[in-house]
Amino acid sequence: MNRRELFGKLLGAGVVAASTASAVVQSSDGSYNGPPGGSRGSKLVAVMSGPFSTASDPLGLLNLTQIPQFVAYLRIQVHPGQNGKIVLASSAIYNHWNQFEDAAFAELWPNYDASTDNGRSDTWVMQDVNWQNTINLADIYVYPEIWGETPLVTAYQLV
Amino acid sequence: MSMLVMSPSGLGSVQVSGAPVPLLSRSWMVTKVTIKPRLGQWSKILVGGPDLLPDESNAFAVLYPVPEGGEADAFSVQDPNGQNSIDISQIYVYTTIPGDSVLADTFYYRTV
Repeated sequence: MNRRELFGKLLGAGVVAASTASAVVQSSDGSYNGPPGGSRGSKLVAVMSGPFSTASDPLGLLNLTQIPQFVAYLRIQVHPGQNGKIVLASSAIYNHWNQFEDAAFAELWPNYDASTDNGRSDTWVMQDVNWQNTINLADIYVYPEIWGETPLVTAYQLV
Repeated sequence: MSMLVMSPSGLGSVQVSGAPVPLLSRSWMVTKVTIKPRLGQWSKILVGGPDLLPDESNAFAVLYPVPEGGEADAFSVQDPNGQNSIDISQIYVYTTIPGDSVLADTFYYRTV
């Protein structure tokens, strides 16, 4: 494959991704984003990726989406180079105002200088075994121990 | 319209005082459970069934602590067919330092 063919293929992939993204928005009925829970499409689309900031909330505690959005795969990783723990929890975290860590179903350690585990950052992964969109991003709350730090979040949906 | 959703059980940390304890005292079926040491604590974590003993007898996992960072040791099991088939009242944990706790990450399917 020469460079022009490769470029054309990448552009084509971009068009597919754009049309898929549009389909995701169109399928919303207002009560949730994208396809309903339990659905299973044929095209894997990243609906969330990159650093996730909770800084818009005064407590630094935020769910991944405000409106339910169902995905088949979810990965949350401590941002390499950052210094704080990352707490993951359900909405039960609101019953633990004094100690958010006690409500966590997962705590991810930082690995800021890559000095342990061959530099691997702590990572939490959840996947539906049947690749159905059943994981509700609005159910997953993220609380960085250090306000303003940004775990890396990747979520895949089948549309 | 009903929808199938996989939700966190809201279990969180489990306190262990001096003997192995079940993750939950009543029966609760889940599709995935992951058990990890609390970060920053120094206990080893033993995971087993109701016959788990503090000397590691019958343990099906022994997890090392992660006091200073990096990726935590974990025990994880998930139903391969997406069913709620794991009763977490039958999974016992023990910390080698009394008073330490264990992180239990449990997800279950429900129809909403």
